[in-house]
Amino acid sequence: MGLLDKLVTIATTRETLLPEGIDPFNVVIEEIYSSTEGQIDGQRVILAGTNNYLGLTFHPSCIEAARKTLLEEGTGTTGSRMANGTFSGHSALEKELALFYGCQSAIVFSTGFVTNLGAISSLAGPGDVIVLDADSHASIYDACRMSGAEMIRFRHNNMVDLEKKLRRLGEKSTNALIIVEGIYSMLGDCAPLAEIAALKEKYGAWLMVDEAHSMGVLGKHGRGLAEAVGVEQDVDFTVGTFSKSLGAVGGYCVSTHPELDLLRYTCRSYVFTASPSPSTISSVREALRVVSSQPQLRTKLWENVEQLYRGLEQSGFELGPDPSPIVAIRLPTKEKALFAWKAILEKGIYVNLVFPPAAPAGLFLLRCSISAAHTPEQISYILKTFAELKPMMTAAT
Amino acid sequence: MATSQYDTIFQQIEVLLQEHAQLQVPIQDDTDLINDLGFDSLKLMEMLEDVEDIFDITYPLNDLANLHTVKDFVLQIQQITGGE
Ligand SMILES: Cc1ncc(COP(=O)(O)O)c(C=O)c1O
Repeated sequence: MGLLDKLVTIATTRETLLPEGIDPFNVVIEEIYSSTEGQIDGQRVILAGTNNYLGLTFHPSCIEAARKTLLEEGTGTTGSRMANGTFSGHSALEKELALFYGCQSAIVFSTGFVTNLGAISSLAGPGDVIVLDADSHASIYDACRMSGAEMIRFRHNNMVDLEKKLRRLGEKSTNALIIVEGIYSMLGDCAPLAEIAALKEKYGAWLMVDEAHSMGVLGKHGRGLAEAVGVEQDVDFTVGTFSKSLGAVGGYCVSTHPELDLLRYTCRSYVFTASPSPSTISSVREALRVVSSQPQLRTKLWENVEQLYRGLEQSGFELGPDPSPIVAIRLPTKEKALFAWKAILEKGIYVNLVFPPAAPAGLFLLRCSISAAHTPEQISYILKTFAELKPMMTAAT
Repeated sequence: MATSQYDTIFQQIEVLLQEHAQLQVPIQDDTDLINDLGFDSLKLMEMLEDVEDIFDITYPLNDLANLHTVKDFVLQIQQITGGE
């Protein structure tokens, strides 16, 4: 058996699933006009699947900050944080993140994915236990595997199951790291964080919250779900990304434990990869200022969420359980979902098509993500288009 | 003693596997969960949730790396439940 033989099944699946036309998993955005519009397959489209929750990719002050640094400091750092890849901007951003969260320490990584890989696999090791939500992001699963810790999964958002699992650990629960997400990336539902924090306290465990999709979105100051439900003091480690609300690329971990700083010596994904470019760091610093100083963006975002979620609900679509900037439409089969995705694109709207195992519970999803930058007119057009196509999308074959 | 415990677990597992398997084949010690019974990761997780409920245990995901056959599975559950 040759090395590449196992790819044959993937090739076959691709051929049967995608006999012709555009491949939904290899979309090229040929032109990008704004944070909500671009060109795909020769056509101008509304972008409604880009995680650009505050629309900051085109924020004038973020662009200006990046442009200035690009001219002054060049295109890249060409080195890892541990060697030559820490410029003054990287350090400044860490201080600003720590201040933003009211935490002792913050570490900046190159992406959110490698933040999880590095932080989780350094914090937990053989002899420790990680208790993770079943719907956790791939980077969390991979990190757990890398860590060598015992890996225990609890049913998504199921507090009875989480408690059962913590109780069964006995004394080991004080070496257990519970990992959950603020807003779950596929269905847009929130973790029941107040209950999770109470269980963490009760069993003397540790708590990490991945606020990738909730930072900038939830909480009075945009710090995420922990701020929104008032349990920040119970969270030991917060991880997040610069690639969603902050409109760039990179990741971070913050903690109330000053020991976090030691992870700089142990995280392989910090030590052995190049740091974010200086211009990226400048745009993120500016975006963080915007998140703090412009709460009206969050107000606008949630108005848009209400318009989209309620509108789709009224049209009779089966959605994720809670209104959130991620609005997932459940479709009955893979074929229907693919058909719907193409039909929507032809009408000038881009959303994400998500199949299992990326989608939880065997679901086939059209995943929309909404932005503060979407106009009411764009959302009305999205709603009108989905309503028109609904009979075709959901009818039995 | 150990054999009978093995057999008891085997019988409970047999019912569960038949319920969740994609392919219906007779279940024996050397039956492979993926190749013979057609389990994919999603079906496997659903089945593991039932196993956890029925035996009142936590099945660590680390054990999945060594789970191939029905015999592996029974021995793993035996070990988790504290048997020989
Ligand atoms: C929950 C969660 N964590 C981490 C990441 C990774 O973030 P990044 O895009 O910065 O690698 C994502 C992104 O999809 C995510 O959804």
